[in-house]
Order: sequence, then C-alpha cells, then structure tokens
Amino acid sequence: MKRLVSKILLGITLLAGSACTKIDNYDGPNASFEGKLVDATTGGNFQTSTGSVRVRLEQISWSDTPSPQDIPSKFDGTFKDSKLFKGKYRITPIGGAFWPIYEPVEMDINGKSSHDFELTPYVVIKNLTSTLNGNELTLNFNIDAPVTAGMPGVIDVQPYVNTTELVGAGASIYDYSDLMKVTLNKDWAALTDADKNMTLKIPGLLPGRTFYVRVGVRLNDSFKSSNFSEIIEVKVP
Amino acid sequence: MKSIRKLIIAIGVGVSLLTSCQKLDIKPTNILTDDVIFGGEGGVNSYLADVYRKLPIEDFTYRPTGRDGRWGFNLHHEWEHFWNAGSATGEMVGPYGGMDIGGGCAYWPYSDIRAVNYLIETLPKYSANFTGNRVNEILGEAYFLRAYYYFALAKRYGGVPIITSVQNYPEQSIEELQVHRSKEDEVWEFIGKDLDQAYSMMPETSLRARANKYVAAALKSRAMLYAGSIAKYGSVNFVDGDAKAQGYVGIPADKAAAYFQQAWDAAKLLDGHYSLYQKNPDKELNYADLFLDHDSPENILVRDYSITSNTAHSWDATFSPRFMTADALSRAYPTLEFVQRFVQLPVTNADGTPRRFDNLADLKQGLEPRLLATVYFPGATLRGRQFDMQRGIYPTFSGTAAAEVAKQPDQRNRIVASDPNTLYQGLPVIGQTGIRPPGSSDEVSRTGFYVRKYIDYKKPQNECGLFQSTQSWIEFRYAEILLNRAEAATELGKADDALFCLNQLRSRAGATVMSMADVTIDNVRNERCKELAFENHYWWDIRRWRIADQLLDNARFRGLMPYYVLNEKKYIFLNEPEVFERNYFFDKKFYYEPIPGGELGKNPNLYPNNPNY
Repeated sequence: MKRLVSKILLGITLLAGSACTKIDNYDGPNASFEGKLVDATTGGNFQTSTGSVRVRLEQISWSDTPSPQDIPSKFDGTFKDSKLFKGKYRITPIGGAFWPIYEPVEMDINGKSSHDFELTPYVVIKNLTSTLNGNELTLNFNIDAPVTAGMPGVIDVQPYVNTTELVGAGASIYDYSDLMKVTLNKDWAALTDADKNMTLKIPGLLPGRTFYVRVGVRLNDSFKSSNFSEIIEVKVP
Repeated sequence: MKSIRKLIIAIGVGVSLLTSCQKLDIKPTNILTDDVIFGGEGGVNSYLADVYRKLPIEDFTYRPTGRDGRWGFNLHHEWEHFWNAGSATGEMVGPYGGMDIGGGCAYWPYSDIRAVNYLIETLPKYSANFTGNRVNEILGEAYFLRAYYYFALAKRYGGVPIITSVQNYPEQSIEELQVHRSKEDEVWEFIGKDLDQAYSMMPETSLRARANKYVAAALKSRAMLYAGSIAKYGSVNFVDGDAKAQGYVGIPADKAAAYFQQAWDAAKLLDGHYSLYQKNPDKELNYADLFLDHDSPENILVRDYSITSNTAHSWDATFSPRFMTADALSRAYPTLEFVQRFVQLPVTNADGTPRRFDNLADLKQGLEPRLLATVYFPGATLRGRQFDMQRGIYPTFSGTAAAEVAKQPDQRNRIVASDPNTLYQGLPVIGQTGIRPPGSSDEVSRTGFYVRKYIDYKKPQNECGLFQSTQSWIEFRYAEILLNRAEAATELGKADDALFCLNQLRSRAGATVMSMADVTIDNVRNERCKELAFENHYWWDIRRWRIADQLLDNARFRGLMPYYVLNEKKYIFLNEPEVFERNYFFDKKFYYEPIPGGELGKNPNLYPNNPNY
C-alpha cells in the first residue's frame, strides 16, 4: 500500500514537473510612446481638456483588425504611455476640434519611441484679455479660423472657470461656466463681427479665491469638441 | 479460484459483446424532433411561442443597457422597470446617472434568427401535415418575425450580416460562416422585402398576440419611416469614419423619398381594419383605459402577461409612489419639458409673480385630457389617495418666481423635509408623495409629476405589488400607424393627409384640432412625442431624426415644484431643476451602437466598426 502511494506521488511529481517547461517568452509591455500635439497655426502645443483629444493606437503587427487603444492628451498637449507592447502601430490623433487626419502615421514602437503630430485647429482664440471689476470678470477675445472651407458650424462659446489649473470642459464650475454660455449655432460664414470679437462677463466670483479661466469655442463636427484658449489665472481680492 | 475468476470475466465480456450489437435507434424521449414540431398546428404553435417570447419587443421589462451582462430583453425576475429609455433621455428623469444608454446591450440575436430560418427551411418538407394554405400562412408569419429581428438590429447597428438560411458547423468552414456586414440600406431593403412577403402570405386575422398581415404592414410603416429619416437627416448630421464611407452606416439622401412613400403606403393598408379607442365618452378616462382594455380595437399586436405563467410585470408597483401600491418604489418621473410639449402651464402671472391657487388640484383645470391621462398631476387621485406632493412650505412668499428660483438654496426662505410625516405648524411639509431634498432616498418624484400611462387605476392597492401587473404591452397600436402615416405624408409634402391623421388623434385626445398651417414637421413630431410617450419610442425617434445631440447637449431637466404659502393659505408652483440636477449628454457616435466586441473577435468581416468606437 505504501509503495502504491509513493508511486502515485512520484507520477504526480513527474507530470507536474514536465507540465511547466514552456516559458512565456513574449516581452512584457515595456515600450513607451510619447510626444506632443503641435498647433500648426501657433507652433505651440495644442490646447485641450478632458475627454477631448486622444492619440489612437492600433497595433497592426498583432492583427489586421486590432482593437484600438487610446492615449488621452494632457491639458498641455502632451501625451505618454509607458506600458505598450513593442510592435508596429497605426497612430491617429482623434477626438478634438481640429481638421481630421486622414493619413495616419504607421511606425514601430520599441523602447522609447516618440512622435509629434501637427494639428490644424478649426478655430483659434486670439488676444484674450481679462479685467476684473470688483468681483465681475470681463473677458475679451477674437476668434479666427485658419481654414474656412468645409468647416463645421460653431455651436457655442463659453468661459471655463475652475479653482485648479485643470480647467476645461468637464472640469469647471457650472454657475461660472455653463451658465455663461453664448449659443451661436451658425456656420463660420454666417458669424457676425460681434460673434468673432466677443466679450464675456462672469459676475459674482467669490472674493479671496484664485480662479483659472479659459475660453472654449465648440464646433459641430463628429466629436463636438472645443478649441480652447490658454489658461489665465485670476486672483479675486 | 483463479480459473473461476477468468471464467467470470470471459462470460461477462462475452455477454456484453453480444448485447452491444442491439440497434439503439430509438426516438429520444426528452427532446422534440422535427416530425413532432412540424407534425401539426400544435407543434408549430409551441415552436413559435418560443420565437415570440424572444422577439425583441421593448416592453415593460426591457432594459436598454441590459443587466448582468445579458441583453435587455426577457430578463429573468426583472422588476425595475424605471431603468427604461425614456428616463435616460428627458421624457422622464430616472435612476440612470445621465444619458447612459447609447452603447446599448450588445444585442446580437443570430441564434434566434436561426430558429426562424430553420422553420422557413423545414416546414415545407412537412406540408402534408397542414391543411389548405396553412403552410404559406405560417411561412408568412416567419418572414414577419425575421424582419422584426432585423429591424431591431438595423436601428441599432446600421448594416449587419444578412443571414437567410440555416448555417451549419462543421459542415461549413469558418470562413464561410464569417459573413460580411451588408450596407445599411441593403438591410432596410431586406426588411421591407420580408414584410412584403409576410403581408402577401398571411391571413387577415390571427390569434391574440400573434401577427397577421396587418401587423406586418404596421412594422413596415415603422421600419420604412426609420429608413427614410436616417436617409434624410443622417446624411446631414453624421459621424465620419470608415463604416460611413463604405456604406455600413448611413443611407444616401436620394433614397429618403422612396422610403417615406413605402412607409405611407404600408400605413394606408391598415385603413378601416383598426380604429382608435373611443369607448368612454369621458376623454381622460377613455385615454387611460385604452392601455388597459383587453379588447381595444386600437391594438394591432400585444404581448400578454399572467401571474400563473410567472410572466407578470411590475409596472403598477414601480411607477406610482409606495403610498398607492403594495410594495416597491418609483424612480422615474415625467419632466416639465415633456409636459410643456402639451402646454405652457399657467403658473406665473404677467408680472412674473407665481400665480396663487386655492387647491393643489386647480392646476389641472382645463388641461388636455390626454395629458392628464398620461401624467399624474399634483392633486390627482389614485386608488382613493391623493397625489399630495409638495416641495415644501413658504411661511411667506414675495417677489417673482424667477428671482426666487435663482437664489442659492440656503438663501431661500422655505421649509423642506425628507420625511413625509414631518409637519410644520401642523401641516405636512412635503406630503406622502412629495418631493424630497437632494440626498434623500430615491423613491418619490423628483419633478412633481408621476407617470399615469398604463397604470391600472382600477386595481386594488393590495394587488399592486411586484410581479402582479398583467396589463398587456401594446407593441403596435393604430395611433402609431396614423402618426407614421402623418410623418411620412409631411415628408412627402402631402400636408392634407397628415392633417387628416393628426386630427383624428387630437380629437380623440380632447385637444383642439389643427389647421393646415399647423402641419409642420416639428408639430408632427411633437404630436408623436405626446401620443407615444413612455412607450419606448422617444429614444429611437430623436435618434433617427438626428436631433438627439442637440436635445441632449448637456441638458438638465426641470420639474414643477408645488409649495404651500402658509400666510396666504395658497399654493404656488415654481419651475425648478429636477432634484438631482443630472446632466444628459448624447455623444454623436451614439447614432449607432458599437458592434459587440465579442462578435468582432469572432468575425473580422464585421469591421470596420461603427464610427468613433
């Protein structure tokens, strides 16, 4: 009886031992990909906010019909993903208020790869100035379009106000931001001079706080995203 | 000893070898075979019963996002009917955190379509078992059922693979089984063709809850109307992408008129075979009864429920407050925006101050009977109990309604409560059905209204518990057909025909009749939204009109909050945001649902996926 048990144990040990000879030799996700989204009109980084611009990766060395994975762009127009499998990718920035890129970049991502993309925004917000009168903030700015032919319509213009530097669509104080929205719903050609040279007033800012403010113009394309101005800091005394 | 053992083994092996040669070709006793199923009317009825049960009818229990990883149809033990499409889109506000239903529930019913294809292929082999024209009639019904499945697919995904025969594995190779997506307009055309065939083969009448030729025509009018509006409006407002460029989503604009014409023609076929429900001269009660009367002449196709078969639903228990039911709770409430589709309620005086009412119920005076039969207003009565909802009490009130609502909550001089039994100077603050402040339990109105449509007001309160409601779901009713026809007619420039249809509905509803000048596409659509409210049409309508992204563009919905002004002993109503102040946003990509990920993994020919997914 004892010999039988020890024979069975020996058999199990042999089976278990031989079952594990294959080693997972596929490299872990140790490649990284980073870069900047460059605004073609200014040469600076493309201003964005949450839930807007993302860099779409499709690993074509893995499958002909790969499931896309997205790297969201940071507010300052940079992006980075340090946990990617090495391989050949098709890469397209999507989701923001810029002219669509119909010719995606195909490149190998291996080790530390990087690539910058040049994006042409639909609308550029220029000459943003702010004046604080008591607790009422006045914003003056012009909007301009680098390319007007075939441009999607302009839905609305609104300020975004938040108490942190992370300010934009989905990250703003409703009463100071969404309630101050100016609805246009017009094609670019139909915009008047007053629409293009706008003044927004934000009353009732709480005293003693620092606010971060920017302006967004929302376009009626597939994504309904906005072009944003730079962020300015406003200290309410 | 040893030899005996050998002998026993030898005999044993010998016996088992000999007996194993018996033929085991006996009929299985635990499954029904083709010759039983197709042996006569009874077998086919039981086969079809299963197909009808799985039919994607968006009834009381339909849950657009599915549940526990399952499709939203025929969920087991589903009672939370307030998780419906209306309450995610602003017809009502409900438990959804916002417009959360855009991604759908990965519905992909090809196994159910296979069952229909199997019937179509197999039944003719057994035609000797049926008399007269029955085989053709049953085949016609099968074509209708198949079209119904494809309709549910096309309105979600656009172009899908069209499978018209039974696929077999391993007889067919994997490559053969990976059928390519068809273009969107090919799918709509296929649906139209199946329905034409169904119409020509089916009889004029059918068993209750089964299709006849007019049911096929009814579905055709709905489907072709969808196709027409997708062609017309989807070619203007769309999301760019590979699937769009290759025609898997979207229909060329020049096909719109032909689809609208088909919708109109199909609707016209029902003329004279069904009629609007007008049994009760009291127009409000009549409209309420039309959803409860088992034998309404307006019903074209219904789905029935019963307690004994464990199919009863819980509409009564989950759309009225617990005060009027036997258990459960309500969580979805009509919005003020919906009510204002009927009328701007006269709650504000010319100078902007809130109008004073002596009684809560006075607000209902003079409103359209159809509205009162669709929505329970403050002051209405159900099962002997009054909808006594208040948002709170003002000891005194001065100034305009707008100025009061614009104040910060802590600066408003009002008494509120989260407990229905809280009293202020001996008077209930919110009432048993009243509106609680944010953060209270979610079981009473957030808008000041409750749903009335389909509520069985004659049922005693103690029978209004979970799984005790058995009123039928009306999948097709004649009112919808008139609305389909009116919309198609308006799109085709036949305003006089649209007017004829709309005024039938409006006079039944107790509304004023329209004139020719009123027949605009916006008014026709508004009429549809009013008549078919809470019947799971609204979501698909605003989608096919391609206006959902404008209507639900960070939308926040409002309610009408009743208050008691103590020193004046009067009621006022304030237009305020619904209590949860939720935000509803429709992303343009939701005009189509994504092809389910699991299916994309199995069949690379389903690529490209719909735009922006």
